[in-house]
Amino acid sequence: MDRKKLIKQLAVIFAVIMIFVGIDLAIYSLFIVRVTSHHSPGMQKMSVEVADYVPFTGSESVCSVEGEERLEGDIPTIDGAAALLPIYAGFVESIYPEDSVIFNGEDYDAASAMHYTNTRGAYKDIVDGNADIIICAQPSDEQLAYAEQNGVELEMVQVGSDAFVFIVNANNPVSDITIDQIRGIYSGEITNWSELGGDFSPIAAMRRNKNSGSETALEKLMGDTPIKPDYTALFGSPIGFSFRYYVTGMLAEGGVKILTINGIEPTPETIADGSYPISGGIYAVYRKGETNENVYKAIDFMLSPEGQKIVEQSGYIPLS
Amino acid sequence: MKDKTFAVILSLVVAAGIGVTAVLMVHGYNLWKEISIVEMIANWV
Repeated sequence: MDRKKLIKQLAVIFAVIMIFVGIDLAIYSLFIVRVTSHHSPGMQKMSVEVADYVPFTGSESVCSVEGEERLEGDIPTIDGAAALLPIYAGFVESIYPEDSVIFNGEDYDAASAMHYTNTRGAYKDIVDGNADIIICAQPSDEQLAYAEQNGVELEMVQVGSDAFVFIVNANNPVSDITIDQIRGIYSGEITNWSELGGDFSPIAAMRRNKNSGSETALEKLMGDTPIKPDYTALFGSPIGFSFRYYVTGMLAEGGVKILTINGIEPTPETIADGSYPISGGIYAVYRKGETNENVYKAIDFMLSPEGQKIVEQSGYIPLS
Repeated sequence: MKDKTFAVILSLVVAAGIGVTAVLMVHGYNLWKEISIVEMIANWV
């Protein structure tokens, strides 16, 4: 009798251990493996090697022009989207005083005239007065409402453009998609890659944080079509979205594939001539009524031929 | 095994299991905050 009881007790303990092992293995294979970055530790922020884009370090990743008049006096604080870091690093290196940029080895100092956060942080900072110019994609409705609530009106000046792209794992056989199919995926009508000519595998439609630049671009693309919640994103094969140069230039990530839209590849040419259907503007945003003249001088520089050269050499599409 | 001993061992196993799972979740969350969607899709095999 005791022996039977002992076996039962051991079986219960073993079963509990196995349940936890199963849960932990699932967490590891479905979550940890997918979110482990292969970039160097300590230097990554959204997988970008931030140190490669620090102005005045001689980095080849920062494209700037020489001989421009540098700003003096009240230096405007500049910030922006992660995907647009090369552009504003180039602007800063061209016209900001060298001692206005303070990088502590991992991030920018609070006293630095250049910061690197992301779209969400940058829009908050410009409204709160912690940044004077931000380089971003269009704001979300929520970001505009936050500005309005705080009595701030935002002025937006387009300084370039880039393509909004959809990406899949490089092993996914699907290479082309239409805008209607994208809307079908993100509205939950299309749920399996086999419906798009791919493998029989659920579509894990990944999304970004609310108010990030690319999530706002998705919301604008979807229009009035509701976006389905992301509950199934752990299973199946993923699709996600970003901006072209962030994928091809900044991360140069070989494990993903950019989908063509209606057979059109997003290249500088197809974005500039409009044949790639979903390009997005890059804007310099500042507070309406800004009294710091250096803000206007900086934006004038961004729009000048030299500033536009920086946009182009940094990998984005200049204004035509 | 006495019932009390069994209960103690089971409690320890459950506590250790919850602890390891929690550590994994927190570790994963911290990684997730820093990684881009692009690299996550590349890792998604």
